[in-house]
Amino acid sequence: MSQRKKKGEFIVERNYVDDQRIIEPEKLEIGGVDMSGRWGLLVLPRTIEDFDHSLHAMVKNHPRGRNIDRCWQCGNCTAACPVAEENPLFNPRYLIYIIKLGYKLEIEKFGNYVYFCGSCGRCSEVCPKDVDPSGVMEAIGTALRRKP
Amino acid sequence: MERVELGKEEVEVKPDQWKLFERAVFAAKAKLTYGTVEEYLKMLERMKELERNGEITVFHVEEEFEPVTVKTLSGRRKRIPTVELWQHKSCGQCGHIPGYVTSLYWIMSQLGVPYVDDTNQTSCTAWNYYGSGTSNPVALTAVFLRNMHVAWERNAYPLIHCGTSYGDYKEVRFMAVMSRELRERVRQILKKIDRDIVIPEELVHYSEWLHVVRHRIAERKKYDVSNVSVAVHAACHTYKLMPEDYTYEDDVLDGVRPAPTTSVALALGARVVDYRNWYDCCGFGFRHILTEREISRSFAYFRKVQPIVRETGADVLLTHDTGCVTTLDKSQVVPLAHGYKETVPVMSDSQFAALAMGAHPFTVCQLHWHVSDWKELMTKMGIDWERRLEEHKRYVEEVKKRVREPEFIRSPGRRLRPRKDSRELSS
Amino acid sequence: MRRRDMSEIHPVLVIGGGPAGLKASADLAELGYDVVLVEKLGQLGGAPIRWGYKTLAPELRPTEEVMGPLIEYVEGNGNVRVMKNSVVEGATGGLGDFTVTVRNLMNGATESLKASAIIVATGFEHFDAKVDPRYGYGRNPDVIGIHELEGMLKEGRVVKRNGDPPKRIAFIFCVGSRDKSTNLWCCTVCCGVSIKQAIELKHLLKDADIYMIYMDIRTFGLWEKLYWKSMEEYGINYIRGRVGEIYAIGDKLLVKGEDTLVRGPFEVLFDMVVLAVGMEPGSGTAQVARALNLKVNEFGFLEPRHPNIHHDSGRDGIYLAGACVAPMSVEEALAEGSAAAMQVAKALRRLQRAVVK
Ligand SMILES: Cc1cc2nc3c(=O)[nH]c(=O)nc-3n(C[C@H](O)[C@H](O)[C@H](O)COP(=O)(O)OP(=O)(O)OC[C@H]3O[C@@H](n4cnc5c(N)ncnc54)[C@H](O)[C@@H]3O)c2cc1C
Ligand code: SF4
Ligand code: SF4
Repeated sequence: MSQRKKKGEFIVERNYVDDQRIIEPEKLEIGGVDMSGRWGLLVLPRTIEDFDHSLHAMVKNHPRGRNIDRCWQCGNCTAACPVAEENPLFNPRYLIYIIKLGYKLEIEKFGNYVYFCGSCGRCSEVCPKDVDPSGVMEAIGTALRRKP
Repeated sequence: MERVELGKEEVEVKPDQWKLFERAVFAAKAKLTYGTVEEYLKMLERMKELERNGEITVFHVEEEFEPVTVKTLSGRRKRIPTVELWQHKSCGQCGHIPGYVTSLYWIMSQLGVPYVDDTNQTSCTAWNYYGSGTSNPVALTAVFLRNMHVAWERNAYPLIHCGTSYGDYKEVRFMAVMSRELRERVRQILKKIDRDIVIPEELVHYSEWLHVVRHRIAERKKYDVSNVSVAVHAACHTYKLMPEDYTYEDDVLDGVRPAPTTSVALALGARVVDYRNWYDCCGFGFRHILTEREISRSFAYFRKVQPIVRETGADVLLTHDTGCVTTLDKSQVVPLAHGYKETVPVMSDSQFAALAMGAHPFTVCQLHWHVSDWKELMTKMGIDWERRLEEHKRYVEEVKKRVREPEFIRSPGRRLRPRKDSRELSS
Repeated sequence: MRRRDMSEIHPVLVIGGGPAGLKASADLAELGYDVVLVEKLGQLGGAPIRWGYKTLAPELRPTEEVMGPLIEYVEGNGNVRVMKNSVVEGATGGLGDFTVTVRNLMNGATESLKASAIIVATGFEHFDAKVDPRYGYGRNPDVIGIHELEGMLKEGRVVKRNGDPPKRIAFIFCVGSRDKSTNLWCCTVCCGVSIKQAIELKHLLKDADIYMIYMDIRTFGLWEKLYWKSMEEYGINYIRGRVGEIYAIGDKLLVKGEDTLVRGPFEVLFDMVVLAVGMEPGSGTAQVARALNLKVNEFGFLEPRHPNIHHDSGRDGIYLAGACVAPMSVEEALAEGSAAAMQVAKALRRLQRAVVK
């Protein structure tokens, strides 16, 4: 995950542009004019253009992921999660949401954090809707690994 | 008839007015910009009151300006002057898209419209307004009123080319009329340059002028554009700042989107296409073009150009503001270098109208400064661009070698007599 | 002490023939009172019948189970005189002895009647989504209101304007509700109603993907069950967010909004969009407020003397019931109808005693 050089370093408000959206070719030219570097950079829009339920379907078919549809985003799981307490990028509630609706860019950004789950099961104890979020984390991990 | 409740009063609305009214009611309830439509109308009343009390001079759209009446978003009628126009130019326009303003002047000359191209105009209010946090209402209002005073002195009605200046002026006019403190502070400044407060009865954008003369333009059409499909980008600052005051027309875009530019393309017989991000900004965004160029460029391409081309295959993208033409046009270079294929020529409504009327595509419309490819459009319109380009190159060479005088649209130096001595006013 | 005969009492006037007005009329008739029921439209039943609700939330029971017997009883029992296509133009007098003018809207004829008490149950009207232009309601094909979808569901045929069944459907919540530019209040039922309709749609169109775009889900009390069921049994998707614009592209609708959980914009194509339009007091309630000189609150709903006691209009002998006081469900409207009838019965009994003494 680490990068040698930070993408789009010179963008003034760099913090609001996700790495995944920056296209910065090493070499760029048009009509013999060199446009590499700062002047040749493009930023893709972050607009969600579609839902993709394929991962969701895989999670639902996983024995521990089958209750994912019950989740109503209350946040009890994240509130109880010891990993989330340490790492703001790991958020079981949010992972469930983006997988369910299939938000591509968000999954690219946060999907791999699913493996931070410690499988302690505290979330599953507090979930008011019997989602078994801990199990869903496992199912999401499997689905992401298997996704073609 | 539908009955609509507006505040406490019930008003009857004819079905044909309904669409306009529907937006107006919403605008009224939503308290858009500086207030409700009612507050806006109140401001206009207040302006008349200040005039009666002798506190300000109102520059009226008198009959001598041969006005044409249009309807605004609020349903109010607005008189657009058509002759004796004081050209309030736009700095970026002259710098980046020289054909923009020459086309406009050329059209005016063709229609025999007298105008004043004054060298005594204060520079852009727009950068002041958006570029940074450096400006303030007093400075903005002073720039506005100084320009209006100069126009008034020349007895020519201000025609504002720059969309942002136009929007900004509408806002500061509101403030100037409603705030005595602001007026007094600005008056102090104006006194130092021997001027006083003159507020135009109507603030007029050049696209509104093109809109009201569109049929006269169409009569003089030389090229058939019926096979040309036109996408329009309406400039945010013309119609989103004080939206109550821009021109709408029932039979253009359902009466719920601004009429100018679209109406010109329609009058010329072109096919106007609609696209998904119609309401979006061009990408310029003022501070963004300054500090976030990559965002401006990417937005212009991915949110405007690309969807327009993919969805409509438009032959040309027309707009009516300096920043928009520049951003939409110049932002196509980098994506093309990246290998993206979608591209569309971009120009102002004045350039398109002038082209259709037979203006020289290069000497007048100056298309060679545009980055996006206009060749296909020229061919579609039946313009022999190769011959015209050669002509233009020859002309430039000859001017350079001084074997030929430069051509002017209007002989330089013609001036109208001052309306009144400004000293008389301040004494 | 001799009780005054029922026949000496003028009939009770009920204005509005929706769930609340019908229930009030039926209860009073059953107690032996004569009732005059004045209804503005040509049919009884109020919103559920006018818009043809197929079933009622929360249990999805057929609307007829509730409304059928009520209408039958009111029209058939003999104690209720039903005056359709009519409105009350004015009333003088007070409890026990009102003189009211009823105008027939079809032929313009007016009739003067005596009434002992008045129950106002003029209900609500749907928010007209044209007023909020962002949805393009009335312009964009296939953007419809929940009231229109009710009718389609009842017919058992939900199709787009071009005749195709919709594959991807969005519901947008709180249209014209909870918004300072339109109406400030929550309509209380359209969350539940939308969810109910989504479930019905799933029965009708098994392959449809349904997305509920909401800012809060307010399925009060036992209606909550609907919400759970819709996710757990029907796989209906919930997106927290708002919509800023709907744009027609070909025969699809591009819905632009923000997903507030992602904190990001979306622009997704849908086949059909259903607007959960809210409830407003409407022109019928405004008319009756003028005619009877009743107090209305800042929102235009009739204002009871005490905010927690709906039936008391603040004018002696005039009682309120149902959605003309505040947005509410059918079950609440029925209960309010009964409550108002009870107040009338109590007042008339007091009056009988007083007269006889
Ligand atoms: C789309 C939709 C679906 C719904 N589905 C459900 C559901 O599933 N379950 C549920 O519990 N609730 C539902 N509701 C709520 C339900 O419709 C209301 O609670 C109920 O109709 C209120 O009854 P009411 O008698 O107070 O008013 P209304 O039903 O509005 O009846 C009022 C009556 O008075 C008449 N009237 C109005 N003005 C005058 C006048 N001036 N003179 C004479 N007559 C007049 C009207 O014509 C109407 O017949 C739904 C609401 C909506 C918006
Ligand atoms: S606690 Fe359960 S219902 Fe709540 S967000 Fe977590 S998984 Fe979803
Ligand atoms: S019931 Fe639901 S949809 Fe209706 S206004 Fe209230 S919160 Fe919004």
